[in-house]
Order: sequence, then structure tokens, then C-alpha cells
Amino acid sequence: MVRLDKDRFGDFIGSLTGDYEVYATVTVDGKSSFREIESADEIDSSCLVTDRTPKEIFFPHSEVLFEFDEDGVREVKRKGKPIAVWGLRGCDVKSLALLDKVFGSARQMPDNEMFQDPYWKEKYDGSLIFSIACNEPRSTCFCNWFGGGPHRKEGSDVFVVDIGDAYLMEPVSEKGRAFVDKMTGTEEASASDKKKAEELASTAKGMMQEAPPLEGLKETLKGVFDDEIWEEMSAKCVNCGACAFVCSTCHCFDVQDEGKGGKGKRIRIWDSCMFPIFTREASGHNPRHLSKDRFRQRVMHKYSYFADNYGEMLCTGCGRCVVACPVGVDIREVIKDVMSYQGKGAR
Amino acid sequence: MSNTYIPMNMRVKKVMVEDPDKTLRTFDLSFVREADEKSFTYMPGQFCEFSILGKGESPFGIASSPTEPGFLRFTVNRTGSVTNQIHYLREGDIVGIRGPLGNWYPVEKFKGGNVVVIGGGFAFTTLRSLIVYLLEHRQDYGDLTVIYGVRNPDLFLYKDELAEWRKRDDLSLHLTIDKAVEGWTGMTGFVPTVTKEIAPSTENAWVVVCGPPIMIKFTLPVLTELKFPDARVYTSLERRMKCGIGKCGRCNIGSKYICIDGPVFSMQEIGEIPEMA
Repeated sequence: MVRLDKDRFGDFIGSLTGDYEVYATVTVDGKSSFREIESADEIDSSCLVTDRTPKEIFFPHSEVLFEFDEDGVREVKRKGKPIAVWGLRGCDVKSLALLDKVFGSARQMPDNEMFQDPYWKEKYDGSLIFSIACNEPRSTCFCNWFGGGPHRKEGSDVFVVDIGDAYLMEPVSEKGRAFVDKMTGTEEASASDKKKAEELASTAKGMMQEAPPLEGLKETLKGVFDDEIWEEMSAKCVNCGACAFVCSTCHCFDVQDEGKGGKGKRIRIWDSCMFPIFTREASGHNPRHLSKDRFRQRVMHKYSYFADNYGEMLCTGCGRCVVACPVGVDIREVIKDVMSYQGKGAR
Repeated sequence: MSNTYIPMNMRVKKVMVEDPDKTLRTFDLSFVREADEKSFTYMPGQFCEFSILGKGESPFGIASSPTEPGFLRFTVNRTGSVTNQIHYLREGDIVGIRGPLGNWYPVEKFKGGNVVVIGGGFAFTTLRSLIVYLLEHRQDYGDLTVIYGVRNPDLFLYKDELAEWRKRDDLSLHLTIDKAVEGWTGMTGFVPTVTKEIAPSTENAWVVVCGPPIMIKFTLPVLTELKFPDARVYTSLERRMKCGIGKCGRCNIGSKYICIDGPVFSMQEIGEIPEMA
């Protein structure tokens, strides 16, 4: 573990931008997001969970799949340096690992290139992730429900703790180790630095609300699939899709062609299962034509279907959807309601 | 690495209009590059993403059989914006194809058994692929029974081929239409009713049933009544689909994706999915 004094942080970011396309938290017009930066001055280190999800670094809101004209189809290759992200939170680090399960391969055919998303892989594989500990988790944070925690380091390359006057940096992966070994301007962290980090971790942990019992959630959800609980829980949902657009693990997308006269591009754009058109077929038939069907789909996908396929929940407890929902749907309450539901049971 | 989103070029070799209303057209596509033809190996029941650049992409089951080399066949019902554009294709036009995608009818499992194929409407496409495949490997299979129903005689796909099959003594073909019309000498009645009348033997038998949801809904209870076990009844499912490779999240039914876990499922598998039960 090394210590980087904050007065050397500008130099550190400066040297990082030499080798990487560096993304960090930036606040514009009161909204925080991860953006490419040139210097440390642009970074807003006060924001905890960014308003926009950092998944957009690797899976942009809209992305060109290929271009075409009368001569045929052209792949659009990414140019430039590998990506480094400074200041990801533990929840978001985990989100990227979950998205990698979807985009990196297919669970049935892990080595088959047909199921490897080239646009995800060219950005995510080879990236360098600096995650930063949350010393002051928010009231909407619930990462501890799904095995996370404010000082979680798993999945990161270099784990960083802000101890006030300095950043403590702990290599987590091999890649992170190689990077930290080559860093200049740092010194070995002292015993008191480490003690400070431990105190911060303990305080942060104490700030987290206790996780409710979630054992069997995956199966419980299947058990109440046809129950009236969904009408009640989704009654105020307006299917706006805000939850999906701020979510760090929602990965559904639409594919559209743009262009005129045989020239144009095929793009993919974030989409959401909250929208009726998401599943509406050309015939007009829609297997999820009711609002509650779509609300249920999103909950089932995150806490039951994904778990069937990957053994993990597709939620990291970042709390963005809780903050973003215009009508106050709180996914934590939904989960608690399902777990404590004593209704008629299935069908 | 190769880019899975980029389609290969194929050329429209032949266009066949299947019905007088011209809502159903069959397209035979030939490979533009020899390398693509060599690497494209598929089985009955698989599908492709069919692109017209600038207009979009839609999934269709492959109606040709792997035993018919040199081309791929698709039959397209004109319904939405992409299928409308596909209907404007002429011989010689270039289209984009991604695939083969998805799983297939378990013809290996069927070996040595009797096969009952039940189809309705224009969903007969991958069933044609299956039947052609089974006929080509005729000695590997027992009795082959085909029940195929449409609203009126004009709507049968592949009419010339059906006439050929009719002449064979190693295939028992039952064509039915919803309501009697003049000149029709085949059976009359909905597919579920006709299936019950024919009552194919369950002995060492496998069933593949594919058609509109309403036909499936009423045929399955008949099959259960006839004592076909769910594990020996297969169907092919459809949902709105985009990527075809398990990423875009659109075509799921429960934890299964039609594109990578299907489109072919046994009734037993379907019974375990909450959204389908």
C-alpha cells in the first residue's frame, strides 16, 4: 500500500493521461457523471454516487455498430489509448463485472466469438480501474444487501482510500500491482495512515443500514409471479424508464439504422423494458402489455432471472434508481414487500 | 476479433410469391463469398438476422434444410417496416445475414423414433426445413406424420413441394383448412381438432409443433390428452428480438432468452418458466 499526497495528485493524473484515456467524476450544470478529463482540476471529488451511471464509459448511451454505403459495410474501430477510470465506487466496479458477464461472452458458449461484444471488449478489457472507498455512504446506498460494502475492493485494479491529506493506494489485481510498482511520487503508507483508513472503513460500515434477510429472494419472486402484489407495488409507476437509464447494470438496448440513400450507420441505443414498445411485435401483439407486467419484468430480471443464469443478483445497491424515480418507487421497499408478502401464494 | 454485429452479404437468387394476396414471399439467397458458404453450417430450427441496410434487421427461421447446399431460404410475412422492405427485394439484390443463431430441433434425439410434425399458418418455415432434413435421412427415422393447417388453401406455403410429399408413401401428410371451400378435397377443421382425429400413436414418438400462439394453446392439451409426455413435445418460440446473441435483453421469457437458449424448447422446459406457465 502506498500513499500519494494530495498536492501531488495533479501530477499523478497528468502522468496517467499520458498513457490512458482517463475518466473521472465531473459535475456539469449540477449533474455529476464520469467524463474524459485532461487534468485533475476538472475532477469533482465531492460526489459519491454520480447522477449518471459510469456504465456509459464502456457501454455508451448510443454507439455505432458499423457504417455502410454503396461499397458495403465498414467496422468503426476505436482509436486511442486504453481507458483508465479514477474514482469508481465499489458498487459500480461490481456493476461493470456483472455487465462483463453479459457482453464479454455467452454463458453457454464462453469461448465463441459470435457471442463476444467487440465494442464492450475493446474498451473494458485492458482498462485500469481505480476504485475509491466510500467514507460517507448515502442514505440510499444499499450495496451491503448484495455482498458489497463502502470499502469493498473486489474487482478493482487499485483500491484507493481518501484519508484527508492523501490517497492510500492498494493494488488489488496483477495489473494494479504492476501499475503501483512503477508509480513515482508515492511513499510507503505508514502504520498511522493504515490505521486512519481502517477507522474510516469502520465508521462507513456503521453508517450503512442493516440488510434485511434476502435468502430465497430468487425463488420467492417466482412464487409470487402471478400474485396481486405486483398491481399494488407498480400502481404508482409511470413506466418512464428513469430507473433503467440511471441503472449501472441495466444493459438492454435497441438497434436502429440511420441514414439516407444507401449511406448511413447502424447504432445501438439504451432501451428499457419499462416501455411498451420494447416487446411489442409487428403484429401488434405485446406479451407485456400491462404496466405491471413490465414493472415485474425488471424486478424479476434483476433478482431472479439473472441469478438463475449467473448466480448473482443484477443489482449492486448503488441507489441511483431510488433517487431518480419521479414517483418515489423505492426498489428496497419492493424487495422487502416481496420477502414479507403473506398473500395467497402463486395462482 | 471478428465483429458479430456485421452481417455477411448474400444475393437474392429467387423470389417466390406464396399467396394471392402477396403477403407471403419466399426468398432464396445465395452466398456471395465462398468462405461464408463453407463456414455457414446449420440445423433445422435455427434462425438468422436478415438486414436491409438503412432499413433495419429482423429475425427469421431458416426454411431451407442443411441438406440443400448453396442457398438459404426465408419466407417472410409482410407485417412491419422491415418485412415490408424485404418484400420489395428483387433477384440480384444484396442483403445482410447474421447467423445461424439459436438452437435447433433435436433431430439426433429423434433418431430411431417416429416423428409427428404439427404446423399452422406461415410458421411452417422451420418445419419445412425439418421435414426435408428427415426425408433426406429417412432411414434414421420411423413413421413421419405431418399435420399442417391454414385458414384457406391459398395460404399453404410451398404448395408444389406439398404436392410432391403427398405422393410419397413414407410420409403421411394431413393438410387441413379452417372452413370448407369449393374444390378442397383435404381435411377441414382447426389443427387441434384434426390432431385429435388423426390421433398419432405416442409409441416411441416425438412431436414438433409450431404455429400461431392460439393454435399452440389449443393443440397442447390435445397432445396431453393423447398421452404425449411434455419432454417429447417440442416447439419454437418467438419474441421481439434485436441482437440475436443474448445481449440486448429483449426476447427473454423468464430466465431464458429465445435467441440463445431457444428458439426450440420442449414443453417440459416451457412449463418451468413462470411467464409461460
